[in-house]
Amino acid sequence: MGCSNSGAPAYGEMSWFCCGAAWGPCGSAGGGACGTCNSSSHQCAWPNASDACFNITRPDQCGEGLARRTCGHVFYVTSQCSGSCVSVSIADCGPDTNSFCGERTCCGSACASNRLIDLTPSAYSAIASLSTGLSPVRIDS
Amino acid sequence: MPSTDRRRFLSSAVLGGTAVAGATALGSLAPETAFAAPRIDLDPGARDPNFAEGRITAISGSLLKVSGSDKALHRVYVTHGTSVWKLRPTTFDEIKVGDGLYARGVKMPDGALAADAVWVNIVNLDAAITAIDSGRLHLDHHGNKVVGHVVTGTTAAVYNHTPAISDLSGLQVGKHVKVIGAWRPDTNEVDIATVYAGI
Repeated sequence: MGCSNSGAPAYGEMSWFCCGAAWGPCGSAGGGACGTCNSSSHQCAWPNASDACFNITRPDQCGEGLARRTCGHVFYVTSQCSGSCVSVSIADCGPDTNSFCGERTCCGSACASNRLIDLTPSAYSAIASLSTGLSPVRIDS
Repeated sequence: MPSTDRRRFLSSAVLGGTAVAGATALGSLAPETAFAAPRIDLDPGARDPNFAEGRITAISGSLLKVSGSDKALHRVYVTHGTSVWKLRPTTFDEIKVGDGLYARGVKMPDGALAADAVWVNIVNLDAAITAIDSGRLHLDHHGNKVVGHVVTGTTAAVYNHTPAISDLSGLQVGKHVKVIGAWRPDTNEVDIATVYAGI
């Protein structure tokens, strides 16, 4: 499997987050739920990484039936804006999907709702500008 | 010129010491061009050699010396082809020693990074609004207090996919927001570029 190549992709919003050793407000972020997270690596946070994680993020409350995927699982994330793709492995729990149910982001006519995945700065910047903050993506396993 | 060729050109221009003059004729890399590059084949979870982060310790000509948060040392070349963001799209002269930085570009044979884009002091905060007063949002960011400054003419709000507007009256205490902004180094304060809020 690879970019845009799975049978059941998820479509949603991606954002970015910092983790590991960091500067500024990120300085206290730590290694994430998996203990391995680092802003310079191609990693991500997933809302259904464990029972404890799911109970915080509750994507189901936004109508999102996301599969349980645990630390180290690899996703292929394709920007709906640039068409570029990056592979990332789960290193943390997030985003807090149910705090923003129904939120919608578009890039031209390509739109996506609900925050489904956060990428580290190195991964996000491989397919989008960090200054965009939110972007619609396709997520494949 | 295809984006990949542009990037190679920037790299070679830096190596030849002619980056500033050479890249000017091409103009800067717009984000949509910089990120239209082919898929990056990198093992998931691996450190990205074409990415750098840390604090700027020295500026020498167009070279930024950066001390990574993980203690790695980086050399980042900024050319006239590099897009620079610091609260807003800006220019090289706005970059200061002590600033935090994320940079993406092309790793050169000598280990330096020829930057396609640098984001200076950029932060992305998921936070709750604890108070609003004149020109400031008080934020709870994972238990840490952060003061967000509204910058006239720059700060914009996006309310659930509405176009970005300068009217912040829809923000409410107790609500979650996402803030893209620029950190004021060595403080708990940021200048707000965009605040994303539900409605």
